[in-house]
Amino acid sequence: MGLNYYHIKKNVLRARKLVIKSTSLAGSGHPGGSFSMAEILGCLFYKFLKFDPKNPSWEDRDRLVLSKGHAAPGLFSNMAVAGYFPESEMESLRKFGSKLQGHPDLKCPGVEFCGGSLGTGLSYSIGIALAAKIDTKDHHVYTIIGDGESDEGQIWEAAMTASKYKLDNLTAFLDRNFIQQDSYTEQVMPLDEELTGNNISEMWKDASRWKTGDKWRSFGWNVIEIDGHRIEQIELAITKARATKGVPTIIISRTVKGKSIEHMEDNPQWHGKAPDLDIVPLINLELDSQFMIAPSIIAGDMTNLANEVKRCASGRADYIHLDVMDGKFVPTKTFDHSKIKELRPLTVIPFDSHLMIAEPVKHVRDYAEAGSDIITVHAEVCDDSSFGEIHDYLKQNQVGVGLAINPDTDIPEWSYKFLPTIDQLIVMSVVPGKSGQKYIPETHEKMNKITSILQEQKFTGYIEADGGVNLENIESCFEDGARAFVGGSAIIGKPDVRESIRDFRNQILKARRKTLIKKAHQLGGAELVNKWIGLHVVGEKKDQLAKIAKEEKLI
Amino acid sequence: MSDMRTEYAKTLIEIGRENPNVVVLGADTTDSLKTSGFGKEFPNRFFNVGIAEGNLVSVSAGLAGSGKVPFASTYAIFLPGRAVDQIRNGIAYPSPPGKKGLNVKLVVSHGGLSVGPDGGSHQQIEDIAIMRAIPNFRVFIPADTVSVSKLVQLMSKEYGPFYMRMARSKTPIVHSESQEFQIGRGITLRDGSDCTIAACGITVQMALEAAEILQKEGISCRVLDMFSVKPIDGSLLEKAARETGCIVTSEEHNILGGMGSAVAESVTERYPVPIKRIGAQDMFGESARDNEIPLLLEKHGITSFNMVKQVKEIRSKKP
Repeated sequence: MGLNYYHIKKNVLRARKLVIKSTSLAGSGHPGGSFSMAEILGCLFYKFLKFDPKNPSWEDRDRLVLSKGHAAPGLFSNMAVAGYFPESEMESLRKFGSKLQGHPDLKCPGVEFCGGSLGTGLSYSIGIALAAKIDTKDHHVYTIIGDGESDEGQIWEAAMTASKYKLDNLTAFLDRNFIQQDSYTEQVMPLDEELTGNNISEMWKDASRWKTGDKWRSFGWNVIEIDGHRIEQIELAITKARATKGVPTIIISRTVKGKSIEHMEDNPQWHGKAPDLDIVPLINLELDSQFMIAPSIIAGDMTNLANEVKRCASGRADYIHLDVMDGKFVPTKTFDHSKIKELRPLTVIPFDSHLMIAEPVKHVRDYAEAGSDIITVHAEVCDDSSFGEIHDYLKQNQVGVGLAINPDTDIPEWSYKFLPTIDQLIVMSVVPGKSGQKYIPETHEKMNKITSILQEQKFTGYIEADGGVNLENIESCFEDGARAFVGGSAIIGKPDVRESIRDFRNQILKARRKTLIKKAHQLGGAELVNKWIGLHVVGEKKDQLAKIAKEEKLI
Repeated sequence: MSDMRTEYAKTLIEIGRENPNVVVLGADTTDSLKTSGFGKEFPNRFFNVGIAEGNLVSVSAGLAGSGKVPFASTYAIFLPGRAVDQIRNGIAYPSPPGKKGLNVKLVVSHGGLSVGPDGGSHQQIEDIAIMRAIPNFRVFIPADTVSVSKLVQLMSKEYGPFYMRMARSKTPIVHSESQEFQIGRGITLRDGSDCTIAACGITVQMALEAAEILQKEGISCRVLDMFSVKPIDGSLLEKAARETGCIVTSEEHNILGGMGSAVAESVTERYPVPIKRIGAQDMFGESARDNEIPLLLEKHGITSFNMVKQVKEIRSKKP
């Protein structure tokens, strides 16, 4: 089984958009805390939770308790995406007569717990878990608590109780976003240690200062600490939690309040405030412009690929691109599925296997079983029937489906019917076969043509730019629509992978900021541009945005 | 004289045998409340969460949310007095489709002033007011062990949140074993035509004694056990108002918001007659050794003699 990576990612994006839509229409609500737990809810709803939207009170369902109840829009939007009610119903959030109350409420079938008064949801979950033990039922209870909420003494009463009763059917998540209503948690009531100065990211970065895990360990819990926005880490943590017997588990998830929207990220103002309607289109565009960076390990030392994978992991790659070449479809040979299987235990970062091989339909199972999370095959060696077989097999096994086209190939018409469900499209910007080639400039023109086809065919996946992508051309790749970027010699070829990934990110970020500012100008002239810039109050962002706007002569 | 807590614990075991969904929770007072006996018979349906009343209430709510029938017990002062948020938002407010509140039964001991030596800090005289104000909750104040047994049986069969307050001290038996108890129906213990005393808890016995004294003086006094403070029996009170023309209420609780207030609210809307409320006059209690508890109650006017006095005074105010 793959991670179901893209499936989760796409649904998380849909849910985030619904949070923005519903809170902006309501004129109030809590987007910040909804976004910090977005990936956690995504992994639960689209991978782990047993539930039936048609029968919300199904006895054997898993239970999800949102103890940090103010993040209700996050819960409701995932329930809408999961099919409990139409997504359009999100427009009634917080309005008179709606079942979507300001805080989670049993008025909405499928909601397990009336949240709102903080600190009580973990105790409630203990009640559910005890009942399951009495009845010898094996459903699981998942509870999300907040870090601000952890100021409440009852959280620690519950911590002791769950430990006393050995509730291994209870898994808690701490959404550790470091922000509560008044300010940073480490200023209001430190869970780790008191924050001196005003830069919360210092705390985020320095693991030696984290004490929260020790607190929970001392209460007898199994503690797992993760990056709460990394799907692969959340999945592994839940899997480990489910396998742990005799003690409850808490997954301490370091998150960013307002994650995905620059002006909301790490900004205490966005704890309980809704975005203005005029900036909603900009936020949606920003959500659509999330990007990922995938180093390609064949650009490194082919004799020590294990080390290249480790460099990717310590460099914080979003996923790892594995170029499989068979010496038939392309003249070169790299490695096959046995190498992937060998590398798999080294990291949980998703494996993005790009099969440059003949007759992929015959081999795709091997690559899935070896532990690929996304498998991309070439259009040149597929047809309607063989790609259909690959597509269905991968979907069933929760592996992402990718289609690649060479520089001189157009998107084949037979693939149109698959486009709505294809997760990734690789538009090669070099002739595949070896690493270190130069980006073919005509790719930009080709991308323009492709984009309109993709729109017509309702493609919702990621476009991956692959071949000669570097700091010079990455901005135009982004403008062309690419949201995943394969870095060969420009990342792996550099001595410091972490630094080169950071450089890639900053360059793409700049391109994204420019795109957003242009959009603001198009929608509301200089006034909206200034408003947009003014929202970015944390750190240096405001000045950086203003500089871009001036360069583009938009203010 | 018999002990309410012993009766409560005994009844819990009886209903526990009949209904496997009954679970019992305590907060380090399970020996005092005697619920530990339930734990001996049903170890996997008994939970002691320690001195953590908020947790006690919320864990009970979670059990109820999963189809269990939790009875959560500790002293009165530590439940409504301490965990009102967990009670309000955790039990009363959450309403599954077609239901009102979660199916949790909060049964406390040590209600009112008669707690005695522990002092004012432990004498809960506000719980009726607090619990009465929370939607979906029903509130019982039993007068004796017969009431305790019957009301626990009743609560276990009737869906929804209940609050029942027992007294610490042993109480005389005022009801016959055959007495029927219904939600929202008061009990006429003694008929009378000149006035009515509406009482609850330990003051019911005092009211009967007062009626006896009044009888000797030629005053016919009706006595009502208003054990169901919420819902209150409006029609029984209206009948008493029409037929006796005045009402004295009596409870070991602050007169603000207690049973007397509930009676006054109902009578005022249905058939206004003069009413006098006996109880703590908006002041706290204090320590009193067991044999001094009558003195403590007397200080707050909670005696049969004061009832006699108040009946005589209020009769003169009849229109």
